[in-house]
Amino acid sequence: MSVILAIIIGIAMGIVFGFALEKSRVFEPGIIVGQMQLRNFIMLKVFLTAVATGAVVLAVLNGFGYVRLQPKAAAYAADILGGLLLGAGITLAGACPGTTLAQIGAGYRDAFFTLIGGLFGAVAFSYAQPVLAKTFLGQGGPKLIFSNMLGVPYWAGALVLAALIVVTLVALEAWSPWRGEMGKDVDGDLPASPPPGKASMHAQPAE
Amino acid sequence: MLTRQAWSPYLAGVVIGLLQIPAFLLIETALGASSSYVTIGGMFASWIDPSILKIDYVARHVAATGKNWWQVALVVGIAIGAFVSMKLSGAKRAAISPIWQRALGSASPAKRYAVAFVGGFVLLLGARIADGCTSGHGLSGMAQLAVGSTVAVAAMFAGGIATAMLLLRRI
Repeated sequence: MSVILAIIIGIAMGIVFGFALEKSRVFEPGIIVGQMQLRNFIMLKVFLTAVATGAVVLAVLNGFGYVRLQPKAAAYAADILGGLLLGAGITLAGACPGTTLAQIGAGYRDAFFTLIGGLFGAVAFSYAQPVLAKTFLGQGGPKLIFSNMLGVPYWAGALVLAALIVVTLVALEAWSPWRGEMGKDVDGDLPASPPPGKASMHAQPAE
Repeated sequence: MLTRQAWSPYLAGVVIGLLQIPAFLLIETALGASSSYVTIGGMFASWIDPSILKIDYVARHVAATGKNWWQVALVVGIAIGAFVSMKLSGAKRAAISPIWQRALGSASPAKRYAVAFVGGFVLLLGARIADGCTSGHGLSGMAQLAVGSTVAVAAMFAGGIATAMLLLRRI
């Protein structure tokens, strides 16, 4: 496929992606930091739903032989160290590499600093990569997937994962309904319980 | 529907998950976002230091291939999509989310910008060490039942939660 066509498809897919990120509010720093402080679960809900949907889609596409899977190699040292740093970055930025762009689109100015920091981070890694490749972080790994380890076809494993996620989400939603996690300005800004005086003023009719 | 301020996280999640269909069928790759930072960062860096292109890792990422530039287009599209969605719903955002004043214990924009820069740096450094981010390891890796991606996602949440507990105030 030509690069131009790939770019057109990428823009079209990105617009849908950005639209869904914006509508779900998962790009909001309040939602992302709230998730990491374990008081807001919108991020987990969007994330797990997308994983389950992707699993069902790939179970069908791969099960019927239309596509090959593209799992990344299991390189545990790099996965763990990189994952820890990535997580720290998500909390400090209030964004991940994709949602940074959604924040820019929605008008958050600090997201430009996240983006520039991210570009510097990617370039710093690039300079270090030839050296890192020779250390414990550079060792590749097998492209392991759980269904192979368990000796079941991928499509069956993917459908089981999707079912487990649905059960988890039903429980999560019952415990903490999503509407209550949005906040007044749908930005995950949920100030701690209001001062008692103020709350009672709303509750009682004015004299 | 398109003018609403918020969708159910389940509807939005399904839409995002369905994007794996064109990714796999048309581009023969999985959804991802962080490689594009190497493509763009490497390209900018090569204007100042052309020798960076001698690093095979950079050369592979800036090469004019469909996959590289599809992902750059994807993240540009994310910004466009979020912008359009925002305009349709008529929502307005302040320059900085109100939660940061509480999280950082400071209303200073300079402090927030510095934290955002450092956050972005660590974000991409980590994503490149792990060879994937919330999209590549998270959405795509877990949907493919990849063992390494599942480990990376667990580490991601562990690192994020620890940082939120240790460095940020309760929002």
